Amino acid sequence: MTAKRFWLPILLMVFGLLVVSCGSGNKEAATAAMKAAEESWNAAKGEVVKYIPDQAKGVEDAIKAAKENFDKGNFDAALASAKAIPDKVKQLAAAAAAKKAELAKSWEEMSGGLPKMLEAIKSRLDILSQSKKLPANLDKAKLEGAKGGYEEAAKMWEDAKAAFAGGNAADALAKGKTVKEKAVAVMTALGMQVPAAAAPAPVPAPPTAPTPKG
Amino acid sequence: MAEEEKKQGADAWDATQWHVVEKGETLSKISKKYYGDPNLYMKIFEANKDVLKNPDLIKIGQKLRIP
Repeated sequence: MTAKRFWLPILLMVFGLLVVSCGSGNKEAATAAMKAAEESWNAAKGEVVKYIPDQAKGVEDAIKAAKENFDKGNFDAALASAKAIPDKVKQLAAAAAAKKAELAKSWEEMSGGLPKMLEAIKSRLDILSQSKKLPANLDKAKLEGAKGGYEEAAKMWEDAKAAFAGGNAADALAKGKTVKEKAVAVMTALGMQVPAAAAPAPVPAPPTAPTPKG
Repeated sequence: MAEEEKKQGADAWDATQWHVVEKGETLSKISKKYYGDPNLYMKIFEANKDVLKNPDLIKIGQKLRIP
C-alpha cells in the first residue's frame, strides 16, 4: 500500500467530520437564534397586534421564513433571519407602547369632555320637556329628533366606556368620536353653543384665482 | 406646564351655555328665548344663584348660565 492510498481515506474522513461539525454548530446557533426570536415575539406580540396590527405580519413572516430555512437545512439563512428578529420586535414594542400612550391621552381628553356635553344636552332637554311652548328655532319634530339623538349618544358613550375598560382603546375612541358627532348634531339642533374642542374643523376657503394683469 | 395644558383642554370642552344680558331683558324674556316658555325663568335663576340674589334684578352685561 502506498502512502497516498493510506492517507486519502483518513483525510476524507477528517474533512467529513469537519463539515459535519461545522453544520452542527450552525444548526445549534440557528436553533438558539430562533428560540430567542420566538421568545421576544411572544413577549411583545399581544401589544403589537393590539396597537399596530398592520406591522405584526412582518415579524410573523420573518419567523416563518427562518423556520422554513431551518427545516430545509439552510442553517446559515435561518440564523441570519432569526438574529434580526429581536431588534425588529424591540422597535415594534416601542411603537406599540407609544401608540398605546397616544390612545390613552386621547381617551383621557375625550372622557373628560364628552360627559359635559351630554350633561348639558340632558339638562336642556329636561327643561324643554317641561315647556308649554317651544322656542322659535325648535318644533316638536326637531325636539323629538334631538331626544332620540341624545339617547343614542348616551348609550353609545356607555359602550365606549365599556370598550375602554375592556382594554380596547381604539374601539372606545371610535365610539367616542361617533358620540361627539351625535352630541354636536343635537346641540346644533337645539340651538346650543358647541364646545370649542368638539366643534367641527372649519372648512378651508378655496384658493382664490390670481387676478389677470392688464 | 402640563397642568396648564390640561386646564386649557378642559376649558375647550366646557359645554356650559351662556347668555349675556342685554338692555331691556328680564329672566322671563331670556327663558322665552331659550325654552319658549317665560314661566321657566326660575330654572335660569337657580342656575345662577351665585351671581343673582333676586330674579327681578339682572344687570346689562351680566353673563348667565342657561341650563
